Amino acid sequence: MDKRESMWDLYLKKGMSRRTFVKSCVALTSLMGLSTDQVSKVVEAAEQKPLPVVVWIHGHECTGCDESFIRSGAPLASDLVLSQIALEYDHLLSAASGAPFEAHLEETIEKYKGNYILCVEGAACTKDNGVYCMSGGHTFTHLLQHAAQNAKAVIAYGTCAVSGGIQAAKPNPTGSSGIGYFTGGTPVVNVPGCPPIPEVMTGVVMHIALFGTVPPLDGEGRPKQFYGNRIHDTCYRRPFFDAGMFAESFDDAGAKAGWCLYKLGCRGPETYNSCGNLRWFQGMSYPIQSGAPCIGCSNAHFWDDGAMTERLPKFGQPIGDVDQIGAVMAAATAVGVAGHAAASVVQKKKRIADEKKNEGAGEE
Amino acid sequence: MKEEKRKIYYLFSPYLRIFHWIMVLAIVVLFITGLLVTKPVTVLGIEPTYTSMSMDWVRNIHFIAAFAFCAAFILRIYGFIVNKGDRLFPRVWEGHFYSETIDVALHYMLLKPSHAPFLRNPLARSSYAGLYAMVLVEILTGFAMYYMTEPSEIGGLLFGWVNVVLGGEMMTHWVHHIVAWLIILFAIGHVYMVLRADIMEAEGEASSMFSGVKFLEHVPKDANEVEPPKEAK
Repeated sequence: MDKRESMWDLYLKKGMSRRTFVKSCVALTSLMGLSTDQVSKVVEAAEQKPLPVVVWIHGHECTGCDESFIRSGAPLASDLVLSQIALEYDHLLSAASGAPFEAHLEETIEKYKGNYILCVEGAACTKDNGVYCMSGGHTFTHLLQHAAQNAKAVIAYGTCAVSGGIQAAKPNPTGSSGIGYFTGGTPVVNVPGCPPIPEVMTGVVMHIALFGTVPPLDGEGRPKQFYGNRIHDTCYRRPFFDAGMFAESFDDAGAKAGWCLYKLGCRGPETYNSCGNLRWFQGMSYPIQSGAPCIGCSNAHFWDDGAMTERLPKFGQPIGDVDQIGAVMAAATAVGVAGHAAASVVQKKKRIADEKKNEGAGEE
Repeated sequence: MKEEKRKIYYLFSPYLRIFHWIMVLAIVVLFITGLLVTKPVTVLGIEPTYTSMSMDWVRNIHFIAAFAFCAAFILRIYGFIVNKGDRLFPRVWEGHFYSETIDVALHYMLLKPSHAPFLRNPLARSSYAGLYAMVLVEILTGFAMYYMTEPSEIGGLLFGWVNVVLGGEMMTHWVHHIVAWLIILFAIGHVYMVLRADIMEAEGEASSMFSGVKFLEHVPKDANEVEPPKEAK
């Protein structure tokens, strides 16, 4: 096997200064959610570790995750793709195509067996043997299984890859699901979001690249440093929530003044992501900041959790929401109870009358 | 006038009674604050900046009531240990439980003129088991939402799985809300059945939750399950 270049080798080759290199490492360190005293470790890894080989495949999806990925600001997506990872195969970004391209995938898998990182976007399509999503003449599930079992780690990018996404919304005609079932024993990092935040995407792949291990994961397999907080708990509009100041409609004074969007169906209280603290596109904004309630795009079934502008799912007219149903049922119960009480009184009177009659009959 | 010979049956320990009334208070407070959390109100159309409708406070009251309720279970469990009358679990392992339940149910459906007298009737006991099941759901879903502010801390580790089991935290909110309404439906039925037993069947239900005892003329069918009664003076 030929010697593979490290990040530092590549920087030297391109004539970039040591200063630029160290700056990149510092940016990477903070991006991966590590404390600043880890900088030396990151520098060390970037100097010595060969660039990680990455295979990036796409299943049942819209490639919106890639649209997000190429907008990563720190590190720049171009830096990442060209000088921080060795991207050997990518359905979307590769210039090559056809049989030679597919042959290159086989070569890569063979050559770097157990050493490459597999990035997966898109759901696995399972119905009718997976024929609804084909790639290179095979079903996507076949490609996924083949590539995953030889990988060092799998990164599931986007809600589709994690739990099926929009394809898996009811009635799920293609039987789409997350990729978890097809990855065998290879460790999987779930990076949900529709799409995930660009810096989260680059941060996760760089963590595996530099440290050779998957980042600390929570119970749902998501990296803790990016999915350890509720959006609601990190939201800059939280003080408005606590003070009871809510926008009642999308065009009222409260909405203009930037009050809490809770009543407009904001999913912040149920959603774990970094939108509240990292924000999007180098901290420029995020949905809530732009006045749109969070739709909970990193949640597994967010397409099916009721209308996105409603606090709780409704059942449609004329039934209404759970509070209306509850109030009607409580009223019905109260009426039923009153009716039962009246009937009981009648029954008791009848019983006493019968008993008296029987007693009378006995005495005679 | 006919002389009435009443006997005193000791049923509910003070622990159970205190627990019961804490539970009543907690459910009322939790239900009202819970509705406010789901649908915050605007007080009298005044701009919220100038009103005291603070979600922070509403939530705090909700949480305090929830913790008080959970803590009160210590009393319930202690009473269960020390006093026979507190052991209200429906005796599903005893054959006569089923025939007695059907007997009571038929009477409540107004198909039978009366049912056999009980200190703690089997149908009511089943409904209490149902209530505790609902309360358990509320506790699990409630803590699952509450503690997931810090998913890696002990609370998140203890209750975080609930969100996974229910298929997402949105569903946890949903279930918590629905079961809250079911508890209110239970409460309406419960209050009615207790008052009915008091007025129609001379069972002394309502007073027993204050005094712990029932003064009864008749001999209830399940008298052997508690301490022997005393003669009333």
